[in-house]
Amino acid sequence: MMLIEADGKILFAASGIAVPPGIEAATAESPPLPGSGPWMVKAQLPAGGRGKAGLIRRCADASAVRAALRDLLGATHRGHPVRSCLIENLAAGPEHYLAVMLDPASYGLRLLYRPSGGVEVEAAGTLAGTLCAPDDAALDEAIARTIPHPAIAATARALGRLLLDQELMLAEINPLFVTDQAAVAGDAKVVIDLNALPRQPGLVALLTARPAAYPDAIRKFESGFDYVEIDPNGSIGLLTTGAGLSMMLIDELTARDARPLNFCDIRTSMLRGSPERIIAALGWMAARPSLRVVLVNIFAGITDLGEFAGLLADALAARPGLCVPVVARLIGRGAEEAGRILAERAPGVALEMELDAALARVAALEAA
Amino acid sequence: MIASLSRATPVLVQGIAGRMGRTHAALMAAYGTNIVAGVAARTHTAGVPARADRAEIAGIPVFPDCARAVAATGAIVSVALTPPAETLAAARDAFAAGIRLLVTVAEGVPAHDALRIGAAARAAGAIWVGASTPGLAIPGEVKLGFLPDVALRPGPLGMMSKSGTLSYEVGWRLARAGLGQSLWVGVGGDPVKGVRFPDLIPVFLADPATRAIVLVGEVGGTEEEDAAAAYAAAGATKPLYALIAGREAKEGVTMGHAGALVHGASGTLAEKTRRLEAAGAIVFPTIEALVARCVADFSTQGRHA
Repeated sequence: MMLIEADGKILFAASGIAVPPGIEAATAESPPLPGSGPWMVKAQLPAGGRGKAGLIRRCADASAVRAALRDLLGATHRGHPVRSCLIENLAAGPEHYLAVMLDPASYGLRLLYRPSGGVEVEAAGTLAGTLCAPDDAALDEAIARTIPHPAIAATARALGRLLLDQELMLAEINPLFVTDQAAVAGDAKVVIDLNALPRQPGLVALLTARPAAYPDAIRKFESGFDYVEIDPNGSIGLLTTGAGLSMMLIDELTARDARPLNFCDIRTSMLRGSPERIIAALGWMAARPSLRVVLVNIFAGITDLGEFAGLLADALAARPGLCVPVVARLIGRGAEEAGRILAERAPGVALEMELDAALARVAALEAA
Repeated sequence: MIASLSRATPVLVQGIAGRMGRTHAALMAAYGTNIVAGVAARTHTAGVPARADRAEIAGIPVFPDCARAVAATGAIVSVALTPPAETLAAARDAFAAGIRLLVTVAEGVPAHDALRIGAAARAAGAIWVGASTPGLAIPGEVKLGFLPDVALRPGPLGMMSKSGTLSYEVGWRLARAGLGQSLWVGVGGDPVKGVRFPDLIPVFLADPATRAIVLVGEVGGTEEEDAAAAYAAAGATKPLYALIAGREAKEGVTMGHAGALVHGASGTLAEKTRRLEAAGAIVFPTIEALVARCVADFSTQGRHA
């Protein structure tokens, strides 16, 4: 997942990469501004395209900073609300592009450097870059071969060390402001590997220090399964297993003009006889007043649906607060037993055998 | 090598003493896979001996490492049913023992570990499928991993998928309509992995049992784009039908699979669709649309499969 810029810069600064002096503001009454103007006011959220969306403002004086904060805080971009802004002194100099990322095809690293930067090379996929093995020595050699400027080369080495030490997927600086002696990171795009978190306590601390910015990652870290809120005003809660199928259900529902609330990969094989995960997921859904219907979709390859149905009934009984209709489509091993258990223990749950019929029923209940 | 697997191919199971290992070794054997050995590393943690010091589990002889299992049984394929943090060590053990094809099912292998597994496979000249995969199968012949039997049926479609469950849904609906698979490979949803979509394009095109390719992809990474390039380069001699999940994925957030991440212009569904269609593939908006087209084009072969 992607970090917000402010956290990327915390990692950069700790690695010796120069960043402009800056402060964060969560309200329009900002703390004292760093240095003298002009300043850049930048909405903090984990998505690209901020510049083009008008979420990065150049402000000449303090009153312009306040106006920008009033404007930006609370805005939404690509599904993410703006909870804070980073206010920085304007950095100056020619804009370069620098990135280090994992290269899945060569099982190594890809070093990307271009002596021009800015939003126009955000589609960095068009850069070929230099490939090297995933270790410090190989990276240093690749940098020495491709980047003559000492300050940029030093920044690249620090960026590479950071990627290797913290097991990052991507560390990108665009733009990197370059002068004769210095290179300053104007932006920070860092993609972390959630699967490495168990051995990266520094990253865990970074995420948990800012729970509002990373609700989905923190839910996963604490509960062990994936639940991503897609649309806080959505009306269809999804209790599903499997990432690809859950994404596809969201796509197919959205194409029917329905509004799914969430993505969910509950991982039925990891329930281990406890309804805890189901209770948690239903609780997150029930917390949204816009919820109108819950769709349960489980394709059981290995899971015993009879056992799952029992846990679902347990969870529904434990959640009397959930007062919307539930449609369940359970297919695979033990489906008949599951139907019998639900009919007896949770007779309000509407069973459907066909996925398309279940989707149509959910869309009708949402509209009702 | 993948397309030439058979029920004669000798297979060992790493992590056979664990809950998953015991269960799936038995299920694979029941499907017809020739499980000849199990491996259970004798790890001693805080003075507690592991429970693996046994000669056999469910009738399968158990060895402390792959080298001894291979020496005793001639296994050339391994299915590692190990936890994510132990998968790198299991892979090194397998490749050092001369295993030619390794399937690792663990979900949650760190990407930097995956770089090392991939490099070790390449250095050994071996094939790695995974991680985070339900495995692969030649229906009616052999199954490595835990693709559900209800979705497996011999037939003309070569299937490859990042997602387990979405491919189960597609495979099951096709199988119910009489259309089975020549070869089904789950490549897994990780960003760094073993066999990738583009690697399988030539395998399917060369396989006489495969009449068409079904690609079940999702947003994130460049595998679909790379597969499109490989397909066009090979001459697009068989139809390629694609389904890609994640049109509505939330940017910057990992959607369950570590590889399912859209950031900026990278990994979007629009770009994958554009590249696949430009290469001559057909990309479908829904599961049902893909199933209907496959049935329309191949139902005759399906009935005779």
